[in-house]
Amino acid sequence: MSYDVVGKNIIRVDGLSKVTGKATYPQDISMDNMLYGKTLRSIKPHAYIKVDISKALNLEGVKAVLTAKDVPGKNHHGVLFKDHEVFCEKKVRRIGDPIAFVVAETEEIAENAVDKIKVEYNEIEPIFDPIKAMDKDSPKVHDSSNIVYHYKLRQGNIDKGFKNCDKIVENEYKTSRTDHAFLQPEAGISYIDKEGRYAVCVATQYPHYDRLEIAEALGVKEEKVRVINAAVGGAFGGREDITLQIHLALAAMKLKRPIKAVYSRKESFNAHCKRHPLIMKYKTGADKQGNLIALKAEIIGDTGAYASWAINVLRKAGVHATGPYEIPNVEVDSIAVYTNNPFSGAMRGFGATQIPIAHEQQMDMLAESLGLDPLTIRMKNIFTKGSKTSTGQILKESVPLDKCLAEIDKKMNFTQSYKGGVKE
Amino acid sequence: MKDIKINVNGKTHKLNIKEDERLVDTLRNRLGLTGVKEGCSEGECGACTVIMDGETVTSCTVLTFQAKGKEIITIEGINGGNKIHPIQQAFLDEGAVQCGFCTPGMILSAKVLLDKNPEPTREEARKAISGNLCRCTGYNKIVDAIIKASKYLKREGN
Repeated sequence: MSYDVVGKNIIRVDGLSKVTGKATYPQDISMDNMLYGKTLRSIKPHAYIKVDISKALNLEGVKAVLTAKDVPGKNHHGVLFKDHEVFCEKKVRRIGDPIAFVVAETEEIAENAVDKIKVEYNEIEPIFDPIKAMDKDSPKVHDSSNIVYHYKLRQGNIDKGFKNCDKIVENEYKTSRTDHAFLQPEAGISYIDKEGRYAVCVATQYPHYDRLEIAEALGVKEEKVRVINAAVGGAFGGREDITLQIHLALAAMKLKRPIKAVYSRKESFNAHCKRHPLIMKYKTGADKQGNLIALKAEIIGDTGAYASWAINVLRKAGVHATGPYEIPNVEVDSIAVYTNNPFSGAMRGFGATQIPIAHEQQMDMLAESLGLDPLTIRMKNIFTKGSKTSTGQILKESVPLDKCLAEIDKKMNFTQSYKGGVKE
Repeated sequence: MKDIKINVNGKTHKLNIKEDERLVDTLRNRLGLTGVKEGCSEGECGACTVIMDGETVTSCTVLTFQAKGKEIITIEGINGGNKIHPIQQAFLDEGAVQCGFCTPGMILSAKVLLDKNPEPTREEARKAISGNLCRCTGYNKIVDAIIKASKYLKREGN
């Protein structure tokens, strides 16, 4: 059998257009008779709002100022829960929440008009600490509890497990909020196509989801919406939620002219999700020889004002909480919490990126306290073919982690450079 | 408004520009050279890199009047607009292109380096693209491409 692709150096299909600068990202598209859109965003993290658009609307060259009242269908979107509003109607839940979308003859006029919109903020006590946000009495970001999701993993007997340990290390780890900072800021253009459909040309990771969400907000059948994915200038999870797609389509629907919008870098930071910052409380125990016996982890993920993919991210963090090690007694609680921080969603790894910061540092500290080098303790516990994970999965296929570590040891002389768990 | 002449990709343009007009806007909006990308608007990311009189500049931090009488090269003019340039070929061959948004700027930074220093070390290649951010590749493939481009150019006798 011969392969066409595997083992061969394949030139990517869009390579030529990209090295010549001909690849078309949404900001590169212009149309005749085109208008420009700018978004007004909340400057408060938690407040009831009253919006007065009259001054902006009277400005020469302004064609429309869209707010929650101008959404003919459902004023919501969201990949799992429909907890985002297309435009905030009564309340803003984070800095950067969209309140209005101005459409004007030029970008400059649209920008001036955004400044002319009056927003009266009646501030509510905000909540920024995800641990405090779990309290029953804490301010509520949405109507009910701030706890979005609680994943529980139980294996063996955790109390008995820790009783049988010779060494236990207990620590708390925190990871920071991270932005994808894809190089191409969000941009798009919307128009009514020859077949009368609302066409939205954007750079997106989910054209099919976008179509559904646009149709629902416009109150039209899905067939009336066409999403065209232009060249995508990086995404890394940051283009999985809606940003400007619905705003553009609403404007095209109302004004029957092409509408273009391009976010600045600053607005891009304000508009899309972040990587979930995690607080990870870890307790890991082993016997004298370094065999892991018990692991208890509490993982709290700050999903900010909206859930986005919080459930998937915190579940994945929980499933991966043990790291690639066999541990007979495990208790994991992984919780996603609403706060008034920027919202968290997908970003490279979906929770599996943050969690090794905790489980691997636990391994290093456990090794040091037992007088073992970091590699030996890992080799004793690492998954091999036939291992059972803490979620009950038997690993039947290739699991060459031990071979990989042995190779590293050979090349770096790793175990030799340690004496009694301390690097010489 | 202000009348100026600038030479872009070998062609002289007479333009009536705004006093505070940025070069990136002139190139993209007036001349339709959308291969010039804008990523940050403050000279940090290098996506809008163009060559001005033989040196790289971030066209978002250059006002168009500053380009008066100068020669500008954008990605569209890197090889006189004809066949693909050896640097572009090397970027393709080495898989140095992913999302592509940094690519035009990277290639132009590489060109200025290779024009001055036909056989750069990896270190020198890294330094030459230190003003160009890439969020996809991790830079290694781009450095590989610049080294390969230097060989292609030598072979062509450029």
